[in-house]
Amino acid sequence: MLNDPAIDRAAGIGAHGQGAGRELLRTENLTKSYKTREGGKVFALDATSVTLADGEFVSVVGPSGCGKSTLMKLVAGIINRTDGEILYRGKSIANSQRDMGVVFQSPVLLPWLTILQNVLLPSRVLKIDMKAAEARAHELLKLVGLGDFEGKYPTELSGGMQQRAGIVRSLIHDPSLLLMDEPFGALDALTRERMSIELQRIWLANRKTVFFITHSIAESVFLSDRVIVMSPRPGRIIEEFQIPFPRPRTFELVNTVEFGRYVSEIRDLLGAKADV
Amino acid sequence: MSNPGVDKSIAEAPVSLRRPWWRLFAAAKSASMLMISLLLLLGTWELVTSRFNIPSYILPPPKAVWTALVAGLMVDPTSRASYLYHLGETMHSTAWGFVIGSALGIVLAALMAESRIFQKLVFPYIVGFQCLPKAAIAPLFIIWFGYQIESKIAMSAMLVVFPVVLNSMEGFMSVERERLELMKSLHASRWQTFWMIKFPSALPMIFAGLNLGIVHAFLGSIFAEFMGAQSGIGVMILQLSAVSDTAGVFAILLLLATSGYLLIELVRLFQRKFAFWSGSGRIIETT
Repeated sequence: MLNDPAIDRAAGIGAHGQGAGRELLRTENLTKSYKTREGGKVFALDATSVTLADGEFVSVVGPSGCGKSTLMKLVAGIINRTDGEILYRGKSIANSQRDMGVVFQSPVLLPWLTILQNVLLPSRVLKIDMKAAEARAHELLKLVGLGDFEGKYPTELSGGMQQRAGIVRSLIHDPSLLLMDEPFGALDALTRERMSIELQRIWLANRKTVFFITHSIAESVFLSDRVIVMSPRPGRIIEEFQIPFPRPRTFELVNTVEFGRYVSEIRDLLGAKADV
Repeated sequence: MSNPGVDKSIAEAPVSLRRPWWRLFAAAKSASMLMISLLLLLGTWELVTSRFNIPSYILPPPKAVWTALVAGLMVDPTSRASYLYHLGETMHSTAWGFVIGSALGIVLAALMAESRIFQKLVFPYIVGFQCLPKAAIAPLFIIWFGYQIESKIAMSAMLVVFPVVLNSMEGFMSVERERLELMKSLHASRWQTFWMIKFPSALPMIFAGLNLGIVHAFLGSIFAEFMGAQSGIGVMILQLSAVSDTAGVFAILLLLATSGYLLIELVRLFQRKFAFWSGSGRIIETT
């Protein structure tokens, strides 16, 4: 049922045309459970099925502990699933894929490497041609406004700049799918807003498929073609919303009635669940 | 500048890092404080020895110590009467003991951090070995390695291993989880993860171990010389105290303190070069 792209409660308008691409990623009944000390089972994620179309920007929102990070880490191959299936371009996958890039909540930059060296780390690991990777690094760093900071060390940059370097690192090997796990969660509110605009700009310039995990409802509505809402314990998808606003979106959008309706509808959904 | 973040980080840096002249002033200030405390100490010392007529073989006046030091340093460095000759011998075994002990310590720590089984097999022996009194092992070393430099190196290395193992292992095992997840997401091999992430992440802690290790290497060499050796600072002290040359013993102690300090500074120098991003870190003290 959740694979049904027709779910579009609020507006009934299709995505902006970009989301209509071929299927890129699909999870089927993806489950992650842990054994407790008493021998019981705790479900971090329960039989979750999502589908991402090529070029689509999809967010997952939910309260902390709803398993949204678990979902991302399973797709990224960082942790192993208990049950279910992950299909990438129609093929079942069990490990991390070089066609994916991951952005973490903290920038995870290595303090002994310069920004340029940090950004090039994936190409070193994946043994990609360094010349080409460096050219791409220069280009991407310029795109996010870090062109003058290539030779600096991470501690010399502000939090927002560090996270932008983290995003560039995830793009360096030109992956088709970008997995972002609350990438702006550690930033202050103002920086966070600017980063949303920035991310949209990067996305529009690169046209990746983005799987974006967040607990900020406004952020998810602002950025996404589609928002998936999850409930806590066990993590389950409870609703999906198509977000039809045209791009590039600006912050004036946030003050519109339409935008507010999406936000409050999602909030009501999460609030109702949290009260149980 | 379009990005205010950098200016901010510089503004937040401690004042002492901002201007060279300020650093110079701070250095001069701490140097003059040291001079004052040194003068006070020497003055009191001189006063006590002359005022209470303390015989020189019990507490020599500073001047006698100074004379002994200068004399001991001025002798032809190839002669066995030269302090420098013996210091050189001690440094020789210290260096080898330090290199062998720390290499062994880092490798053991890496293996134990990488393999739980290896850790379970080996760690109890390392701890047990550390608990043995060194004075009880020294005669064995002399039986095995003789009175030459080899037994000094063995004693040095043995004392170095433990602090290096403990600190390095802590370093290897406390790598930020997200750094490892990043490598996992890139499908990095174990080898890549070790060299690109774990080893550099552990470097500050490894250096914490090496800082202790260099002192232990020095002490180990001198200790071995006391237990029986042909040459070295320890031997020199034994000889001087045998003839009640207390001023000479004091001169050597002064030399020892200075050399130990310089050795630590040398390791710190490497630390600032190769682990420049680290603070001092949590050092695991061992004795």
